[in-house]
Amino acid sequence: MIETIAASRCPRCGAVVAPPERFCPRHPVEMAPIALPGAGEIVSFTTLHSPPAGFRSPLHIALVELEGGARFVCHGAETRGLRIGSRVAIEAVDDVYYFSHLGAMDRARLFWRRAGRAGDRAQAIVRSLTKRVWKGTQRGSS
Amino acid sequence: MLDVWVLGADMTRIGRRDDSLQDLMAEAAHGALRAAGLEAPDALVVAAMNPEEFVGDGNFASNVGAYLGLAGTPAIRVETATSSGAAAFYAGFAQVAAGLRRTVLVVGGEKMTHLDTPRVSELIGRSIDPYERSYGATMPALAALVTRVLMARHGVGPREIAQVAVKNHANALDNPYAHFQRAVTVEEVLESRMVADPLRLLHCCPISDGAAAVVLTAERAAVRVAGIGQGSDTLALRHRDDLTGFAATRAAARAAFAMAGFGPERVEVAEVHDAFAPFELISLEDLGLVPPGKAGHATLDGETARDGRLPVNPSGGLKARGHPLAATGLAQIAECVWQLTGRAGRRQVDARVALAHSIGGLATNNWVTILEVERSQALP
Ligand SMILES: [Zn+2]
Repeated sequence: MIETIAASRCPRCGAVVAPPERFCPRHPVEMAPIALPGAGEIVSFTTLHSPPAGFRSPLHIALVELEGGARFVCHGAETRGLRIGSRVAIEAVDDVYYFSHLGAMDRARLFWRRAGRAGDRAQAIVRSLTKRVWKGTQRGSS
Repeated sequence: MLDVWVLGADMTRIGRRDDSLQDLMAEAAHGALRAAGLEAPDALVVAAMNPEEFVGDGNFASNVGAYLGLAGTPAIRVETATSSGAAAFYAGFAQVAAGLRRTVLVVGGEKMTHLDTPRVSELIGRSIDPYERSYGATMPALAALVTRVLMARHGVGPREIAQVAVKNHANALDNPYAHFQRAVTVEEVLESRMVADPLRLLHCCPISDGAAAVVLTAERAAVRVAGIGQGSDTLALRHRDDLTGFAATRAAARAAFAMAGFGPERVEVAEVHDAFAPFELISLEDLGLVPPGKAGHATLDGETARDGRLPVNPSGGLKARGHPLAATGLAQIAECVWQLTGRAGRRQVDARVALAHSIGGLATNNWVTILEVERSQALP
């Protein structure tokens, strides 16, 4: 199951933030509520060895860029094998969000969900492949 | 706008101090007044990040004013988290530049070492976005997220980052005001305890007590305030798109250089906010003091060492001089004044233009102050 993450969008600049904020951080206007799929890419992550009171050590914290644009802060069970750009799923356990590596089944489910109606699937496959190739190029050149 | 000059500057020895916060403030403030040859200023600006919780005192402008023996002097307090000292300097500058006051005493300080480290971290952490804090984010945690991105995108490796700490500890050996008078090696830094992966203990500034003060005046003096700029950014790290630099520093630098009427190429010494060693590398590029992507190499090549092209943190920086929060922005400026007027002792460098850079919170409220010594006043 892919979670849905509550977020909000600025009607002025289009910025999306999660969790939702009342006002856009960069414009004094009310944001509109939206929902984002709980999946995305690791932007950065860290492990705290002396976390604040109320958290168990080691504490894994990640910054994830959700599909749909917002960046999201969450916990994780571990960071072994994790890299910037790793695809992760976000799920809530007792109202606390955790990331986990996306398995093949999760990826497939996400993919078909995003593809929507059968007629759109071919287009979605092309889009997905194009995105992957483009990203590969970007990483190779940086 | 009137020209504003620094008439005097002073600071306490920074480190673990038994003195009260008020006594630390008095030591720095009375020292700066003595250096300025002034008994009392027209106005007082006080910087303290969180005296309510660190020492239990509020109404702090009046509290400090009365303690200093300046109960009749108009006083305000300024707070922008860890850059409060620089913000207070701006508030004093603005009063003099506007012609509202002829002389202003600016004093900043913090007293923290009497509390245990988890409590200090918690209090400093209150400057973090509440949602990120609810996930256990501390200042080192957010700095670690930034550092990992920096290391992935900029070709900055562990040795480049470690060298910042090595350089700044070496500089502090010649600073009698510094918290640490102990050299460290790259290997020691790389083997020190992991705090927030990839940040280790020796990448992080210590918890320090101390105070610093400056007297500003509209009368011509040795050092002129050439430019001041402020920049701000989102409270939440997750609301930013780019973590390889701080927009708040870039905006502050743009404003400060625009006021000064010259660019970063004229800066000959800089005090930079290295609360975490990688922040010095980020900031050097944000400030335009080294070209984008070159801060790591410049540091390894010794360009920012005391005998290099551009000495950075000759005082030892936050890393080794120490970081008594609201004192820091003013301690940086005091160091710049001493460097420009030939009073920096064994750590003296040759400079006519100095830059001080202060970060508030996780780069939510940053300041750049540019000081210039009058040519006739410069040492031969
Ligand atoms: Zn907006």
